[in-house]
Amino acid sequence: MSLAALSNDQRDALQELTNIAMGQAGASLATLLDEFVDLSVPRIRVVELVDLPPVLAELVGKTNLVSAVRQSFQGYLRGEAIIIFGEPGCQALADLMGFEGELGESGENELLLDVANVLSGACLGGMMEQIRNFTETKGPAELSFSMPSVMARQVMAEQLIDPQKVQWSHALLLEVNFTIKNRDFIAHLTMLMPEEGIEKIRGILDEFLAAF
Amino acid sequence: MSLPILVVDDSAMARKMLIKSLPPEWDVEISQAENGVQAIEAYRAGKAAVMFLDLTMPVLDGYGVLETLRKEDLNSMVIVVSADIQPVAQERVLSMGAIAFVKKPVSSELISTVLKQYGVI
Amino acid sequence: MSGEAFSFNLAETVVKWLDVGIFVLDKNFEVQLWNNFMAHHSGRAAEEIVGKNLFEAFPELPKPWFTKKVNTVFLLNNFAFISWENRPFLFRFAHNRPITGGADHMYQNCMLLPLKAEQGKPEAVCVMVFDATDTAIAQNLLKEALEAISEISNRDGLTGIYNRRYLENRLSSEFDRTRRYGGTFSMVLFDLDFFKKVNDTYGHLAGDKVLVEIAARMKAQLRTSDVLGRYGGEEFILILPETSLEGARIFADRLREMIELEPVIYDNITIPVTVSMGVTEHQADMPSYTSMTHQSDLALYASKAAGRNRVTCYDPSLEKLAAQAKH
Repeated sequence: MSLAALSNDQRDALQELTNIAMGQAGASLATLLDEFVDLSVPRIRVVELVDLPPVLAELVGKTNLVSAVRQSFQGYLRGEAIIIFGEPGCQALADLMGFEGELGESGENELLLDVANVLSGACLGGMMEQIRNFTETKGPAELSFSMPSVMARQVMAEQLIDPQKVQWSHALLLEVNFTIKNRDFIAHLTMLMPEEGIEKIRGILDEFLAAF
Repeated sequence: MSLPILVVDDSAMARKMLIKSLPPEWDVEISQAENGVQAIEAYRAGKAAVMFLDLTMPVLDGYGVLETLRKEDLNSMVIVVSADIQPVAQERVLSMGAIAFVKKPVSSELISTVLKQYGVI
Repeated sequence: MSGEAFSFNLAETVVKWLDVGIFVLDKNFEVQLWNNFMAHHSGRAAEEIVGKNLFEAFPELPKPWFTKKVNTVFLLNNFAFISWENRPFLFRFAHNRPITGGADHMYQNCMLLPLKAEQGKPEAVCVMVFDATDTAIAQNLLKEALEAISEISNRDGLTGIYNRRYLENRLSSEFDRTRRYGGTFSMVLFDLDFFKKVNDTYGHLAGDKVLVEIAARMKAQLRTSDVLGRYGGEEFILILPETSLEGARIFADRLREMIELEPVIYDNITIPVTVSMGVTEHQADMPSYTSMTHQSDLALYASKAAGRNRVTCYDPSLEKLAAQAKH
């Protein structure tokens, strides 16, 4: 953990950066769903990959089923975003989008992909925008995204990621809760990144901290 | 005498960013609070003629602060500073007594415009 | 942008010939750009399409859905994707794999990109259409193969009807489904009477023939939604979705009678067969599906105790009888 752990100042800066980015994500989600979205304070941590399954299980509840969408991004940072939805959240989403009755598997998948895409795009896009505005970056702070895909439906959180099969050693875990219309719709955004990605983020955060 | 102003945000970085965006010539005495409860205490101690208030905070959030201030007949100019840029959020805080809404990330231009608009500077 | 060294516009020429469909729409869905991939696959040249409304040019497109998708890109200023796994295609293009294909159209992935000046709102949306037919065919073949494997692993080797593993999964999912969405279902547990005697008298091959024959005859009587499986030995389970206890009893009795009336013939030997059955229906207060196997087991036991070749429905008094029998 020591290798990639963030100092208190760095964590605070990242939290604020994410807070701003998630504000944009929330606004996008609100536009997409045409509903007011309540945002909670995002919690952030860097987790060693071997610790990720139990941490995820603890976040969403050991016995709760989740669905997840993955999407890779590349450019200024590279890695894989994994957006995890609680199962009641999926149904709430379908209701909000005005789908009546049973949506069918591919309809539900499409909905999950759309929402995940909005969340990861707005969050990472928002972070890039701030990096462009507040730091002297080398090379353009831009990202491109690959097609998202559903990685699991209704599985236990602990089974979602097998650390043995991932080459990278650390994950940046952003925990964001959205509540829509008094319905808990919880999404967790996890970003898996190679070592140098986490290092790069640390560099950016130090630059932020020095600027203010 | 300097004007007592209060900057309320759970993030130290966000408070620093805001303080740095205040007009340099503005004669103020700055206090800071990390959450809503601290903000109310500072307000009661007379440290908040102007309050810059974040919305999403632990313990007591910005909405909670506005609610409390309204009950104590609001003797402070509250400018909400938030990353939550949904129009509904803006309407809600204005209806709760805030005089203005500034979206994060803040800049000197944004802050000056609002302060001038309300005749604070 | 470099490229001035050439006698043509570099970027424009690449876009034109790129082996990816590219077209651009403005806010009114008027086509602003239409590259060769789009022209060649649709058979509609850029000269014909550019300046036209997309939906007027292609009335077969799913207008409400695609309009929403594109408008979201304008509104959120964010890219969007369409996967062939959810919608096989946007444009019904032919594909060029007539021999290996097995598909009658090109599978497509699409990416929608907002186009804008550095700081500003999107003024147009660029849609890229990727040919995903190869991936889709490979994935479909894999899926079929996995389904075939799972089908085999769900079957009883001797009778070809479902096996115990599948029955338990199915009971569990039927139980969950009923709890979630309401409705009801019943199950029948049954057993061939004196089966051990069949084996001892006529040999194991005759016994196997009896099991196969009974399974086949029963299967022929089922509705498509009914599930029949071999639970083990000479024990079978029948799952009847959307069926009340009384409905299940009537159906079970018809099966019982059918078996009684027509003996199994093996090697010119006539083997009389009868079955004993226990029936139970799902109840809202059951903690799990094992309550149903337990209840049907008690009912089956009651059929045996009352002289076999009969159907008994579960009722709570059977619990006492079972408890007494143990002492």
